[in-house]
Amino acid sequence: MSDPTWDEFAELALKRIAKSGAEYADIRIQDSSTEHIEGEDCRISSVRDARDIGFGVRVLYHGAWGFAASSVLSLEEVPRVAGLAVEIARGSASVALEKVRLASEPVHRDRIVTPYRIDPFSVPLEKKTDLLLNTMEVLQRQSGIARSSASLWARRDRKLFVSTEGSHLVFDLLAGQGDCTATALHEGRFASRSFNTPHLRKGFELIEEADFLREASRVANQAVEKVKAPAVDAGQYDLVLDPEHLSLTIHESCGHPSELDRALGYEANYAGTSFLTTEKRGTFCYGSRHVNLVADNTEPETLAATGYDDDGVACQKWDIVRNGIFVGYCTNREVAPKIGESRSCGSNRADGWGNIPMVRIANIGLEPGEATREQLIADVKRGVYIEGHGSYSIDQRRYNFQFGGDAFWLIENGRRTHMLRDVIYHGITPEFWNNCDGVADRSFRRRYGFITCGKGQPGQSGWMTHAAAPARFRQVHVIRGEESS
Amino acid sequence: MTVSSGTWPKMTGSDEFRFLSDLVMTRSSADHTIVRLRDHHAGTTRFANNQVIQNVDARRGSLAVTVAFGGRHGTVGTTDFTAGAIQDVLARAERIARVSPVDPEYLPPPDPCIFPVRETAKPETLAAGPVKRLEYANEAIGHCRMENLMAAGIVSSSTTAVGIATGNGLFGYERRADAKFSLTVQAGDATGWSATAHRSIDHLKVQERTLAAIAKAKRGRSAREMPAGRYPVILEPAAVAGLWAWLIWALDAKSYVKKTSPFAGKLGQAIVDERLTLKNVPDHADLLGEGFTHEGLPSTDSLWIDQGILTQLAYDRFTAKAHGVKSIPTLEAPALSVEGPPAHSIQDLIKDTERAILVSNFWYIRPVNPRDLMLTGMTRDGTFLVEKGEVVSAVKNFRFHESPLQVFRHINMWTSPMEAVNSETGKMLVPAMALPQFHFSSVTRF
Repeated sequence: MSDPTWDEFAELALKRIAKSGAEYADIRIQDSSTEHIEGEDCRISSVRDARDIGFGVRVLYHGAWGFAASSVLSLEEVPRVAGLAVEIARGSASVALEKVRLASEPVHRDRIVTPYRIDPFSVPLEKKTDLLLNTMEVLQRQSGIARSSASLWARRDRKLFVSTEGSHLVFDLLAGQGDCTATALHEGRFASRSFNTPHLRKGFELIEEADFLREASRVANQAVEKVKAPAVDAGQYDLVLDPEHLSLTIHESCGHPSELDRALGYEANYAGTSFLTTEKRGTFCYGSRHVNLVADNTEPETLAATGYDDDGVACQKWDIVRNGIFVGYCTNREVAPKIGESRSCGSNRADGWGNIPMVRIANIGLEPGEATREQLIADVKRGVYIEGHGSYSIDQRRYNFQFGGDAFWLIENGRRTHMLRDVIYHGITPEFWNNCDGVADRSFRRRYGFITCGKGQPGQSGWMTHAAAPARFRQVHVIRGEESS
Repeated sequence: MTVSSGTWPKMTGSDEFRFLSDLVMTRSSADHTIVRLRDHHAGTTRFANNQVIQNVDARRGSLAVTVAFGGRHGTVGTTDFTAGAIQDVLARAERIARVSPVDPEYLPPPDPCIFPVRETAKPETLAAGPVKRLEYANEAIGHCRMENLMAAGIVSSSTTAVGIATGNGLFGYERRADAKFSLTVQAGDATGWSATAHRSIDHLKVQERTLAAIAKAKRGRSAREMPAGRYPVILEPAAVAGLWAWLIWALDAKSYVKKTSPFAGKLGQAIVDERLTLKNVPDHADLLGEGFTHEGLPSTDSLWIDQGILTQLAYDRFTAKAHGVKSIPTLEAPALSVEGPPAHSIQDLIKDTERAILVSNFWYIRPVNPRDLMLTGMTRDGTFLVEKGEVVSAVKNFRFHESPLQVFRHINMWTSPMEAVNSETGKMLVPAMALPQFHFSSVTRF
């Protein structure tokens, strides 16, 4: 007798739940493969290959949720876990004050596959380890480099989503990324500089299209220049921020506050709430007229473009900030009706079969403007150009933030001059975005993905992509990130 | 509701793990083979706005096989415990190892040893299920409803079977269990917070902690804004733990050797106040000590900072061998203490303070500069002004910009060590402390 199919397991679970009187249920069965190769100081320190198979059952009973999950996918375990999810939902219902009401969504039957040219799991391991070793050799060849690292990561998620409403969704999704870092030493100081491909839903062509050896040579040179660079003098500066740097600024100061579950208090005990409270929608001046932040879960290759979310809602595109005014949230089927929305925008995601989905930041990007990067810089008398990610911290309502970066250049009289080190800037979110007076055009737009966005208890990692073109911000408070500051 | 943890399938036992690892060992053609088990069953009842918003229970069993041929190694993991899947995992690990480059830092598995046996799985925690968690959640919510306040938090419990087996005879198996409670009470714009983690679910003290969080939230109303600047502070244990967690994470020996550590050149030197001592105390009943590490090393008592002097680094096995360090200490059960007579309570620290900012907790602590361990972060869930021995008002939250290597160079007053967790660190025992100066670099809007 052959093993049951995933469809048969799903039917078994939903049949078990149907008898309980639950108003809604879904099951996600998932098989995830991850390959992670890490190099450190010119050696391959780790080659790990993991397969994670299991299923999670979510039940809405009398307006309250129950969820149970297991890594044992068997004819005995599936109905037992489904029954447990019902029992847990009954317990939740016994103390519920306000019943969960799901926004309606058409029934979908679909299959979503990431297009790719080269399957990363079919590429010989030797080719990958050679690439990392050669990259680290180039990094360490530069005089002054004390340490190096490089890594490649790939993930395939095969998933089935079936709901009692009749939706049936099959996913075969890929994602990948690669990076390298050089650390330079000089007079007792050390400083690092990194190259990262974006995390994207592409095959190994993502890695092949990135010229790791050329990038390694560049970042090694810049690491040495950075460690020898003068520390920034504290003061007010105009900032021109590159797309990779902006991806984190957008994530922290726009992405998280636009999660509706935070605004409604669901995350009050951990990730926090949001200064973008519901009465601000449609009127609050989040940024200047140059600031248009758009959520787009339909853009190919981006991490949240999965066709459907874990509510079975089709991916969509919508405005978060339009002409500087805050207009939209990231929602799921549970929270959308609480602000009068008839449909979820499809931002409900779990980080695997073992966790319940929750509202997640969408692929929120800063819409391009009309300037060139050089024009943005040309109109700066005293400023800093910042690339990449560094230190970052933000309060629990997403007001007071502080960011560093990976590389900094002083701008003087319209020209990018030499590198700086230890640049940290801080501000209050809407004041900062209201000081944005220019965004570069679409030809400068780049996309960067996140796979470690922490939220929820138990903690989950969210995936999303933030795109931007370089943007300019006037009169931002800069401090020196070292002890004497 | 009739569910109990007894309805779950039995966790992987020691004999079963030995059977599974033997299955791998007898088929392995590698020079070295390691099998690791992590079978984890956890449940969390999460509440917000005074009602349950999430109620989950999940079981994930995983096995990882590492093999090595000479210095070539590879690791493959799976959640599928069937014999065929495990054989496939071994075959894949061998394929990876055969084509991996030689790792000059590879070392064979540790020699067999007898691991300490600890009471890491209390029966009351093993027996706890969704019913118990819901009962505790309701208790916290009930107190807040009575005060017309909003509760958000979690009650969780988990049990994990952890094992390691190697081809040279090392074998370790341990059941670990813990329970957690954390609560944020909202009183309008003000919040109060309390949290704990313990091996025993009976030790969560839900009522006591709920009342403490309620008192903080009520006291936090009408917060006034104070200018950024340098202030004396009283740091409650969670705030102390948040800063010390980053100090502990920076103790990596390889970075020390490569001169990319904030401690470079400071081993054997004073790095904090000479009355401060940091130890690993895995047998302490209020800490989450373990019998052995992921690498298969025993967890034992150890001394890391002795009267302010850095005496120990966190070694990987290669760096330890290269530097002649025979016994590698662990630091999963940190206990920080101060020599000298302590204040009896945080209230006594307040009573003896002329003027200071009282900090309940820090949030989103991140390194600003790894060279001097400069950190930033925000105060959260209870920040107050103390004047003439009393809390006189709540204050709006500050961002700080400080290095623990600077601020703990001198401490004014302290309590005995207390249990401390926060949302981003594991559990520690640390005192509350009064410090002469702390740099708050900016203010937020609430």
